Amino acid sequence: MYYDDKKKKKKGTIGIVAKSLKENWLIFKEEKIGIIGLALIIFFLIFGLLLPAYEHAMGPEEYNPLVGMDLDLNRNPVTGTFSHPPSKAHPLGTDFKGSDLLAQLMNGSQMAFLVGIVVALSSVAIGTVVGLVSGYYGGSLIDSLLMRISEIILSLPLLPLVIVVAAVLGRLSIWGLVFVLAILLWPNTAKIIRSQTLSLRERPYVESARVAGASGFRIMFRHLAPNVLPLSIVYMTLNVTSAILIEASVSFLGFGDPTKVSWGMMLQWCKTQGHLFKALWWMLPPGGCIGLLCMAFYFVGTAMMPIINPSLRKR
Amino acid sequence: MSMTRYIGRRVIEIVITAFVLITILFFLFRVMPGDPVSMMLSPQMRPEIKAQLRVQYGFDKPLVVQYFLYMKNVLKGNFGESFYYREPVMGIVWDKLPNTLLLFGSATILSYALGITLGKIIAWKRGSKTEYAATVAGLAFYNMPIFWIGIIVLYIFAYKLDLFPMGGMITPELWMNADVTTIQKALDILYHLTLPLITLTLLLFASSMLIMRNSMLETLRQDYITTAEAKGLPEKVVRNRHAARNAMLPVATSFSLSLAFSLAGGVLTERVFSWPGLGWELVNATVNYDYPLAQAALLFLGIVILVMMLVADIILVFLDPRIRY
Repeated sequence: MYYDDKKKKKKGTIGIVAKSLKENWLIFKEEKIGIIGLALIIFFLIFGLLLPAYEHAMGPEEYNPLVGMDLDLNRNPVTGTFSHPPSKAHPLGTDFKGSDLLAQLMNGSQMAFLVGIVVALSSVAIGTVVGLVSGYYGGSLIDSLLMRISEIILSLPLLPLVIVVAAVLGRLSIWGLVFVLAILLWPNTAKIIRSQTLSLRERPYVESARVAGASGFRIMFRHLAPNVLPLSIVYMTLNVTSAILIEASVSFLGFGDPTKVSWGMMLQWCKTQGHLFKALWWMLPPGGCIGLLCMAFYFVGTAMMPIINPSLRKR
Repeated sequence: MSMTRYIGRRVIEIVITAFVLITILFFLFRVMPGDPVSMMLSPQMRPEIKAQLRVQYGFDKPLVVQYFLYMKNVLKGNFGESFYYREPVMGIVWDKLPNTLLLFGSATILSYALGITLGKIIAWKRGSKTEYAATVAGLAFYNMPIFWIGIIVLYIFAYKLDLFPMGGMITPELWMNADVTTIQKALDILYHLTLPLITLTLLLFASSMLIMRNSMLETLRQDYITTAEAKGLPEKVVRNRHAARNAMLPVATSFSLSLAFSLAGGVLTERVFSWPGLGWELVNATVNYDYPLAQAALLFLGIVILVMMLVADIILVFLDPRIRY
């Protein structure tokens, strides 16, 4: 049996992938928290994507999350500003200048996905490549160099460093923050992938690939990478959580991108306007959303662990 | 012998990390747009003093020379003068460092004590409602933005119930009074410490709890636990003396890995509760463009992590002989 018919081979690969996806889904389904997490992620994704529709339905100028404001509102005697509790026109109330909080919250959801997914993808990509190289050449100079670098990054004071970088470069744009976080969040993944690679490279199939004349590059990225990929995906979900939390913290402290409406930024505006205790409808939702979305990604990551580590499976 | 060698190696690694941090600081404050001098020297200074300091910091020399001058100044603890306070930066840092250590240290101890105890109990009662509730609560707090939890804690206990102060570390009037005893002063600090301590503990206890739980489940499968149970020992003795002691090692190992995360939580807690520590000072200094103070605060926060890591490593060597190899 020779696999000279490429079409046949391709179909075979897809079939295997589909089968393993189905099997993994069955394992994932066993974990209740994984399903809860996935549902929450889908909810927030739809919630964020609904923003244009919501703006269109209510009036694109008045309901713009960043600059829109409702000019029909009077000053609220309780808060002393245009911040009003939830009403028919504004389901979640308004902020100090009469901007709709539901629109801001939807925009915040978009920002959270943007920051979380981009940072997680790039940091895990760096971490996986570093881990593969370090593990495949385990014990060599390049391995110890890469591992020392990741240990140094791991022991840096992450949040204070990001704050100072943001302050020194003027205000960090959202892409600047994404870049800084991608550079600082890869070492955890690299360490895990390295230890996995160290054990994988002793397997017979790696040996046979080497005997067949495969280069180090080919062994790493063709033979080893597919086997460490599930682990990378788990770490990606955890990095999404870290990225969202750090972005929120940096924004809350006042070093975020003022042209973007993120959940942390909403809390920062609430604080600088002195509304933290006066307007609970403004203070509570952004923090709750950050917590729920982060928890959702964390739950999905936890529920994927049994796929990688069969000893954690229930059956 | 091998133990001293291991500790020596860790000390060298940590010193190298500290140098990397200083180097990052050096370049950070020089690659930024604009004149680096204006970042180091207060705009209100007289030109001749500025020129003199320019020479002292070596801004007229090439970058390599500047780097070594900078290193020398840092090692001598000479960070210059704060633009905002108009005092030497080092004095401010020494003032604020103990406050950070008090909050951070007590929260670390409390959260680990709570995490280990809860982890022990929920592993023993595997599959129970207690386990489910503790895990979900722990994970919820772990993933929530801590500043937001802090605000809610402040809202409930300080604003609504008026049980605790809104922030700060001392009641100034009390400390001005000469008749007040040390015990009263300590109680006053404790009174201010309670809310930030609770907030930080809520954030931190989940990680040690979950690690303890997993490690405990592993330990409970061992033969010596079955033996202890078969001997007819009371449940509590088996749980606390036989299982928990052996299960605690991974918790200790995870300690130094979680330090950077805990420190971020500490900085945010200090900010929300106006706790006058290094983290609060760092944010203040950055907001006020007080770069000398911001540099020193960042460096010392980094050093706090490194020293705690070293202490954790040394303790671990005594707990786990396998490390010495």
